[in-house]
Amino acid sequence: MRRGAWPIAPTKSFAGLVFVLLAMWYAAASQNNAAAYVLLFALGAVFCVSIPHTLLNLGNLRANAESAKPVFAEQEVSLPIEVTNRSRRGRYAIRVELPHHKGARERIEQIPPGKSARVMLRFAAPQRGEHTIEHVSLSSAYPLGFLRSRQKVSSPQQYLIYPKPAGDPALPSDRRGQQDIQPRSEIGGGDDFAGVRDYIPGESQRHIDWKAVARGQPLMTKQFARETAGELYLDFANMNGLEFEARLSQLALWVIEAERARRPYGLRLPGREFPPALGEAHFHRCLRALALHK
Amino acid sequence: MKTVTPRDMRIPRKPLLWMAAALLFTLPSMFGSLALWVPLLFLTTLAAKFWMEPRDYRLRSNILVLVLSAAALAAIVMSYGSIQGIEPGVSLIVTLMGLKILEAHTAREFQVMVMVAFIVCLCGFFLSQDLAIALCLLVSFGLLVVALVQFHGGISRARPAIRIAATLLAQAAPLVVLLFLLFPRIVTGFRIQLGQSRYSAAGFSDHLAPGDVALLANSSEVAFRAEFPDGAAPPPGSMYWRGVMMWQAQGFDWKASASPVALPRNRQPAAAGDGIRQWITIEPHGGRWVFALDWPGEAPPGTGLAPGNYLWSGQPIRKPRRYEVRSYPEIREKKLHPREQRMYMDPGIAVSPEIRNLVSSWHPPGATGRDVISAALLYFRNEGFRYSLSPGEYRKNDIDEFLFRRRLGFCEHYAAAFATLMRVAGIPSRVVSGYLGGEYNEIGRFYVVRQSDAHAWCEVWLPELGWQRVDPTAVVAPDRVNLGLNAFLERRANDGQTVASGTFVRGFVRSPVFTKMRLAWQTLNYAWDTRVLSFDADAQESLFANIGMPDQSMLIWLGAALVASVLFVGIYLGWSQWRSRPPGDQVLALYHEFCERLGKLGVTRESTEGPQAFARRASGRLPNEAEQIAQISTDYVTLRYSSEPSVLTLDRFAELVRGFAK
Repeated sequence: MRRGAWPIAPTKSFAGLVFVLLAMWYAAASQNNAAAYVLLFALGAVFCVSIPHTLLNLGNLRANAESAKPVFAEQEVSLPIEVTNRSRRGRYAIRVELPHHKGARERIEQIPPGKSARVMLRFAAPQRGEHTIEHVSLSSAYPLGFLRSRQKVSSPQQYLIYPKPAGDPALPSDRRGQQDIQPRSEIGGGDDFAGVRDYIPGESQRHIDWKAVARGQPLMTKQFARETAGELYLDFANMNGLEFEARLSQLALWVIEAERARRPYGLRLPGREFPPALGEAHFHRCLRALALHK
Repeated sequence: MKTVTPRDMRIPRKPLLWMAAALLFTLPSMFGSLALWVPLLFLTTLAAKFWMEPRDYRLRSNILVLVLSAAALAAIVMSYGSIQGIEPGVSLIVTLMGLKILEAHTAREFQVMVMVAFIVCLCGFFLSQDLAIALCLLVSFGLLVVALVQFHGGISRARPAIRIAATLLAQAAPLVVLLFLLFPRIVTGFRIQLGQSRYSAAGFSDHLAPGDVALLANSSEVAFRAEFPDGAAPPPGSMYWRGVMMWQAQGFDWKASASPVALPRNRQPAAAGDGIRQWITIEPHGGRWVFALDWPGEAPPGTGLAPGNYLWSGQPIRKPRRYEVRSYPEIREKKLHPREQRMYMDPGIAVSPEIRNLVSSWHPPGATGRDVISAALLYFRNEGFRYSLSPGEYRKNDIDEFLFRRRLGFCEHYAAAFATLMRVAGIPSRVVSGYLGGEYNEIGRFYVVRQSDAHAWCEVWLPELGWQRVDPTAVVAPDRVNLGLNAFLERRANDGQTVASGTFVRGFVRSPVFTKMRLAWQTLNYAWDTRVLSFDADAQESLFANIGMPDQSMLIWLGAALVASVLFVGIYLGWSQWRSRPPGDQVLALYHEFCERLGKLGVTRESTEGPQAFARRASGRLPNEAEQIAQISTDYVTLRYSSEPSVLTLDRFAELVRGFAK
């Protein structure tokens, strides 16, 4: 049987308990000390009656994985999980884990009867693509910590990982020549400050308005006047000398940089094409296509 | 950049507080039995930990820990002279526990600390088995459970943690009783015995030296408790509890045989008269004497009847022990062997002419042994002898000083002097030490005999009657014998002879409420000693025999104990599952009730009919109830099939259903 398949399993401190019980028994028996026997039996009995408490602490719990925001590969996925207590008793010290993601672990201190609690499980994003979570694992060592009961709750949920942005940050020149602009040697190279906009996850942090962050405001990127120009097509086919995954990474980086520079961009993948546009919906559409590209 | 410590790396403060409280409750067992510095050091480490913890100080250096451990070991060896035995061992555990507390920092170490704290609790029981201390240790155990619950249950507030721990303890209680009765007690096969505790408390001894009994008289410790199951208790004034017979005389110094050999059964003197049955629970004293009323008839199991008719245990008594014994008002021992005669007539000291003159003045020609005894007692009564707990110091050859000059003494002086006089007069005599009287506890219906009831008296041999008890103290201070020592001293205090303590305290001590409390506490103590502490392998065997179980092998009982525990857990599991069942079941039950009520009104639900369809049909048939039917059906569907948790509206639903078509 696999580990974790048992409904209840001893924890590390169980070994300590066994040692203490044996020591108590040996001392009580060799000294024939009835009071020591009382203590031995008290500890043993408290342990015994704690078993159903440990088991029942997971009864009538439901876990529901909610949708996670897409992130880039090698970043951290934040998966919100709602745990609902459908019983009429409080539930204590519930550990929520994802079976196949190490480190994706949070503890809920208490869920009153009929209420639910929400935790955010964070784990490193695997490679790009669409991933599925089949189960959420609930476990609890309540109340004494010698045993841990486990339960796998089916809660199918999908999350998307965009390709890791990497490569040359310089945008390619507009190959169709629809607009007469100079190719950029440096991104964001303009001098004139033209306001701020929301930070797009994955883009360079060079232009984040750190002063605003220090004032407690959300992440904003400073925009400069010359960033708003030109329209370009990012084409999977026109990238010589790069591996398949490296191309996708490069394209992802360009999508970010183009969006940041407010330059309308189009994306051409084998079999799919997105006409030039700007904006968050377009941005995510493009990245999604890159993530799912086979 | 500041590194973020994961939250669960630090020991949470509250469980640590609970554990500290638990450890405080283990201290009473240490004071008085361990070297004083051990509990004091422990207390200091606890305080230091709470000073260090918020400041993030800790004992980080392993070398320092090693050095401190070595220092603790050295200090223990210096205090006790060795590392063997219970006290040094417990001292070592307690000191190392203190170091561990100073060092512990992470949550993982907390678990180790709780485990060690359980061991400290256990050590407490080896230091003392007194009820008050046992209660402290059990409180400590409970607090440790609270600490564990708070630590693992992630409960930040104290009250729910206490509630959960109390639930666990209450549920465990019946299992503890079951295990206590059924769990097999293995008594043999232990090669390594833990060192034996030393009994340093003032206690009885097999040798009478001037001042010994007087020392005991100041101790209110319980020596033993006695019950008379047949209800026939002699009056306290004649409750002579026989301890040890002493025959080797040397003035005031009398000794018993060092290791008496039990008399073979055919040489035991025959007992006469109706026996008085007693159940005696003796407190551990580390010696081998066992008490019974004068004269014990036959020896209880594990003891023998030594020459001189006193009980002698085969093993030193190191834990409370309960035994049944039958005593007889007289024994028929009509023969004194010439060797014994010599043994009982040796005065052991050079007899002074003054004593010889005195004795010969009681011995006119034709006087019988009885006449001599009466004359001697008369001498004690009429010549200004007084009874005192502090007669000043006598050396062992100071019988003359006592008889002719100071004339002030305690029971041991009278017994020793009288027995010596009898030997000089040619009457075989011996000294018996034991206890006299006892305090009756009305609640528990037993007698408490304390160390302060210690007494010594004489026995003389009269050829026609055998050994006869003579208590010279009774002549000098009759009230001591009839009232018991404490009452006797109290009466004297009223006469202004001894120093009075505060009147308020004395008033409280004499008040009926206090007396009741004291008696109840004594009864509890007695129950603890008789029911718990003296329950051993023998008691278990006789329990099994009493409930009709034949003698079974250990394994079967181990199995029975395990099965019982598993059954207990299983039953509880089922019950608890039922208690915490989801509200859905109740909703369904309420809906069935609703359908039943509709059925009485003439609309029966088909087995295939859904709730909504049924509601429509029922409303058509019962237009007056239509609104209620619709409401209940909608609520039912919401409660049962909606994914939202819906405990809160269950009560309203129940109300609606119960209010429907009443």
